[in-house]
Amino acid sequence: MTGLVQRLIPEFEVWKRRYPAGFEGSLSIPALRRIQEERGYIADEDIADLTAYLGVPRTQIDEVVAFYTQFTRKPLGTHHIQVCHNVSCSMRGAEGLVKHLSARLGIKPGETTTDGQFTLTTVECLASCGTAPMMMVGDAFFENLTPASVDALLTELTGSAL
Amino acid sequence: MSIVATELSGTKFFMNFPVTDTSHTLAEYRTRFGYQALEKALREMSPTDVTKEVAAAGLLGHGGAAFPAGRKWGVVKLGDGEPHYVCMNADEGEPGTFKDRWLMECVPHMALEGLIIGSYALQGRHAFIYIRGEFDLAYRRMAEAIEEAYAAGLLGENILGTGYSLDVVLYRGAGSYVCGEASAMLASLEGKKGWPRNRPPRLTVKGLYQKPTVVNNVETLVNVPVILRLGAVEFKKVGTPKSPGTQMISISGHIAKPGVYEVEYGYLWTKFIYEDCGGIQNGKALKCIIPGGVSTKILNASEIEGVTLDHNSAVAAGSQLGSGGMIAVAEGTCMVRLAQVIQRFYHHESCGQCTPCREGMGWMERILNRIVAGGGRPEDIDRLYQISQANDGTTICSLGDSAGYACSAIMDHYREEFEYYITNGRSMYDGNLTVEDPFASALVGVAS
Amino acid sequence: MSETAVVSVTVKKMLDFAIDGVAMQAEDGQTVIEAARANGVNIPHFCWHPQLSVPGNCRICMVEIEQESGDPWFDIACNMPVTAGMHVLTNTEMIKTLRQDTMQFITLNHPVDCGICNKSGECMLQDYHYELNGAASRSRDPKTHATKFFPLSDRIMLDNERCIMCTLCVRFTNEVSGSKALGAVNRGDHALIRPAEDADFNLDVYSDNVIDLCPVGALLSTELLDHARVWYLESTRSVCPGCERGCSIDVWHRKHEWKLNALDPRMNTRIDRVTPHENPEVNGLWVCNKARDLAHLFERPRAEQAMQRGVAADLAVATTTAAQLIGAARKPVAIVSSWGSNEELSAFHAAFGAKVPGFVKADHLPLAGEIIEDHLLIKPDKNPNRKAALALYPALPERVSDALPADMDVVLVWGEGFDSALIPSGAKVIRLCSYAHADNAGADVFIPISVQTERSGHYTNFAGVVTAFNACFPVKPSIAHAEALFAALSADITAGSSA
Repeated sequence: MTGLVQRLIPEFEVWKRRYPAGFEGSLSIPALRRIQEERGYIADEDIADLTAYLGVPRTQIDEVVAFYTQFTRKPLGTHHIQVCHNVSCSMRGAEGLVKHLSARLGIKPGETTTDGQFTLTTVECLASCGTAPMMMVGDAFFENLTPASVDALLTELTGSAL
Repeated sequence: MSIVATELSGTKFFMNFPVTDTSHTLAEYRTRFGYQALEKALREMSPTDVTKEVAAAGLLGHGGAAFPAGRKWGVVKLGDGEPHYVCMNADEGEPGTFKDRWLMECVPHMALEGLIIGSYALQGRHAFIYIRGEFDLAYRRMAEAIEEAYAAGLLGENILGTGYSLDVVLYRGAGSYVCGEASAMLASLEGKKGWPRNRPPRLTVKGLYQKPTVVNNVETLVNVPVILRLGAVEFKKVGTPKSPGTQMISISGHIAKPGVYEVEYGYLWTKFIYEDCGGIQNGKALKCIIPGGVSTKILNASEIEGVTLDHNSAVAAGSQLGSGGMIAVAEGTCMVRLAQVIQRFYHHESCGQCTPCREGMGWMERILNRIVAGGGRPEDIDRLYQISQANDGTTICSLGDSAGYACSAIMDHYREEFEYYITNGRSMYDGNLTVEDPFASALVGVAS
Repeated sequence: MSETAVVSVTVKKMLDFAIDGVAMQAEDGQTVIEAARANGVNIPHFCWHPQLSVPGNCRICMVEIEQESGDPWFDIACNMPVTAGMHVLTNTEMIKTLRQDTMQFITLNHPVDCGICNKSGECMLQDYHYELNGAASRSRDPKTHATKFFPLSDRIMLDNERCIMCTLCVRFTNEVSGSKALGAVNRGDHALIRPAEDADFNLDVYSDNVIDLCPVGALLSTELLDHARVWYLESTRSVCPGCERGCSIDVWHRKHEWKLNALDPRMNTRIDRVTPHENPEVNGLWVCNKARDLAHLFERPRAEQAMQRGVAADLAVATTTAAQLIGAARKPVAIVSSWGSNEELSAFHAAFGAKVPGFVKADHLPLAGEIIEDHLLIKPDKNPNRKAALALYPALPERVSDALPADMDVVLVWGEGFDSALIPSGAKVIRLCSYAHADNAGADVFIPISVQTERSGHYTNFAGVVTAFNACFPVKPSIAHAEALFAALSADITAGSSA
C-alpha cells in the first residue's frame, strides 16, 4: 500500500467510531474526499489501496469516483472555479459571468489554463439562488458577483491583475 | 451570506432572532429554548408519545412531497429487534431552493435537536445527516454543532443521564442531485453510487443497509422541537388546518428582494410577491412563478391571484408548494430558453438506471438545444409532450416525472413562444433570461 | 393400538389472482412476473431474471392493475407482490402504449447494427421491437455514440452503444460467479458497463455466461465474433467432458441444409459454439468457460488412420491383428479410459470381463493454473465418466508399476493420458485413441476411435446423475466406434485363453 491512503488510515479509523458496525463500506465517499483533499485528485493507486482497506469490491470504488461530480481522476488547476448556470443564476447573469471568466482566463468551461492556475467548469444549483450570480472557488462560495468583484478575486488568487 | 429576514407578518418559529456571527452556537441557542424540547421528550415522554404528538400536530414533510411526518414515523415497529435509522436529508439541490442551507448555517442546533428527538421516537442508536458535498459553511456549522452537542452530553452515551444513547454521523455528498431522493441518499450513505430503488419495500421497512429507516428533510426536523415545546394543539393554531405551521420559502430569479422568508401557511401569495419581496426587478411585470423548485408546474401571474401559500391551495391552482423554492419570472423572459436551462439540469443529473429517464432526458435537451439554435421542427412540441408523458409514473424515482411536468407546464402556458421559435428560428424575446444583468457587457456580440 | 404415521407437510400459502381475466394461483410472496411465468404466461422483460436480484430498470414489464375505483394503476410486474384477488391486465391500450414508449426509448440511441451484429436472430430487442413497437423511431436527431469493441476481458467484447444497461451482466458477477468484476460507471446516458480496473474479469471462469444473459448484442465472444449467423446453426444436447460435474450443454453446429459447399468442408463439422442447457439437477443455468472452449478440445488434430507399428493399415486388418494379440496373451492388462461413455464401459466389461484386468486412469489432469474445485460448478476430477468406470474397475495406482507386472505381455491402452514409456519393453501395445499422439505410431496396433460428438451415449457424474449426449457429426469410415470395437477385439479371448 502506498503512502497516501496508509497515512490517512488513522483518520479513517477515528471516523469509523461513530458509525454502526458493518458500515465500513460507507467510508468510501468520505475517504475519497479526504484523499482528493490531499492529492488534488484521486490516483489509480488510491483506488486500489482504498479497496483493500475497506474490503469492498473494486467496482464499488470505480463506480463512486465516476458517478459523483466532485471527484476527479485528473489533476485540476490550483483554483477550481465552478460557476452555477442553473435557472436562477442564469436569470441573474450566469451566462455573462461564464463569458467574462472565459475572456479573462482565456479558457472555455471544461478547460484548465496552460499555467495550471485555473480550471473553469459550469455546475448545477448550489443552493445560493438568492445571491446569484455566484460561483465556488475551491471550497468557498463567492456570491452576488459583478465584473469588478470577479476581477478583484482573480487578482487576489493570482497575485496579479489578469 | 446575505439572506434577508424581513418583517413579513405571521408567526415565526425559526427566523425570529437577529442573525449574528455567534447566534448559531449552543450557548446562544439555549437562550432561545434550545434543547428544552429534547429534555421534555427524554424525561417526560415515551418514544410513542413523541410520535403521537408529531402526528397530532399534522406536520407535513418539507422536502417536497408533503407527506405526514408522524405517519412516516408511525410505520416503524418499535421493539422489532432491528436497528432503526433516522436520516436528515440536507442534500438540498432542487434549483431555486436554499432554505435548508439557511437553517443549517443559522439554526444547526435546532435541526440537530429535531434529529435527536426523532431518533428517540424511533429508538435509533445511530442517526445520519446527509449534506450537500458542495456546502461549506453549512457543513462546518453543522459539524461544530455536533461536537458542541457531544461535549455537552446531548449526544453520545447516556444523553442527559436518561439512558438514551445516540451517535450522529455527518456525511457529505459528492455532487449528485439525485442523491436528494431518499433511496438514492441511502445508497450513497452505504458508500455506493446514488441509484434510487424501486418500492416496495418502503424505506421504513427496508432502508439503510436493509434496516427500517426514516428520511426527513431539514425543515421537517426543525419543526419537531417546536411541536414538542408548544404542544400539538398550539402548533396547529399556526397556519391552516390542512397545512399547519410555517413554510420556509426561498425566492429568487427576477424578484427584487431575493432570499429566505418564513411564511405562515395561508399567507396570500400576491402579498408575499409584490409587498414583502418587492415585486419584480426594475418594476417589471410578473410573467410566471415556479412555485416550489423547478420540479413543480409554473403558474402565470393571473393564476396566483387569490391563492394562499399552503399545500391545498397550490394544488387547487394547478401546481404544488414542493420544497418552497420559488422562482419569479419577469415579462420579456424567453420561456424556451428557460426550459432549455431546466432540461440541461435534468439531463446532467439523471442517474442513468431506468430507460425512460436515461434516454428521455438527453432526448429532451437535444430537442430544446436544436430549437434554441434555430433548427426546431414542427413535431418537436408534440415530441416533448410525448417524452414527458412517457416519463410520467414510469420511472424508478420522480426525476423523470419532474422533468416532464416542468417542460409540459411551460409549453402549456407558452406554446406560442415555442411555435414562434420553431417557425422563425429565433426567440420571441431575443433569448433573454435576465432583467438586470451585471455581466451584460460580456454578452455583447454573442448570438442568443 | 393402531399406529398412525404422522406426516408433516409444509403447505405454501397460495393466493388466487387473475391475469387478463384468467384465474390462477400464486405462491404468497411471489411477484406478478414470477407467478405469471409459473402459470405459463410470459410478461415481456429485459432486465428481470428468475435467479438474479430485481433491478426493475428496463420498465418493459409494466402491467395494469384493475381497480374498483376505475382509475388504472400500473407498475412493473417484476417488483409487484401478488395480492389476493389481484386483477392483472397485460395487454390494455395503456400498457401497449407504455411498452411502445419504452421500446422507443431503448432503441433511441441503439445503433442499427443488426446487419453486422452477431446477436441478430436471437436478439430480444429485435423480437420485442416487432412485437411491441413495430414503428420507426420518433426521433429525427442523430443518435449518441459510445465505445464499440471495448475488451471487457480477453474473451468478451463489449459494444456500449448496443448496451441497454439492463445490468444482467453486473448482477451475474455479483450474485452468481462472485467475481464482482463488472460495474456501471458514469451517470445518465453516459453510463457504461466497465470491468473493475484491476482486470479481474479475466479471472472469472464463468465470464462467458454474460454473453448468453445479454439480451442484445452488447456482449459477444471475441473468438466467435462474426463466426456464423445463428440461423445457419442448430444445437444438439450434450454433456461437457471437462470435469466430473458433466454440465448439460448445447453444442451448436451448422444445419445440414445450410452446409457450405465452397469453403473448407471442416466448417460443416465443427463446433460453432457451446451454450449451457438448463439442468436443475446438475448445472442449473450456467457453465464455466471450459465448456465454451470445447471446440479447442474436440478439434485437436485427430487420429484417422489405423496403424501397425506406425505403418498405415486397414481398420479391419488392424482390428483382427489386435484381437489375435489379445487372444494369445497370457498376462494382458487394460488401461481403461475415464472418458468412455456408460455404453462403451459396459461393452468393454462385457467383452473383456475378468479375463483382462483393467485399471481406470485419469485421461486428463488439471492443467497448470486450472481451478481444481470451486463453490459453483467446477469439480476436481477433469474426466467426465471416471465414476462409472470405477464401478467396474479399480483405479490405476499412483505407482503405475504396481499395476503393470514386469511380465505382462499385452497392454490395451484405451484413451489419452497414459505414457507408453511406462509399459515394459517386452509387452505388445494396442492403443485406441481419438487424437494424434506421438505414442500412436509406436504401438503394435493403433486404432483411431470416435469422440463424443460423433456418437450418442451417457455419462454418470460425481453425484450419480446420468445425462445423455447426442451425436452431432458423422464419423469417418476409417475411425471405429469403441463400443462395437471391443466386441471385435475380444473375439479370440473366448477361444479358451485365460490369465
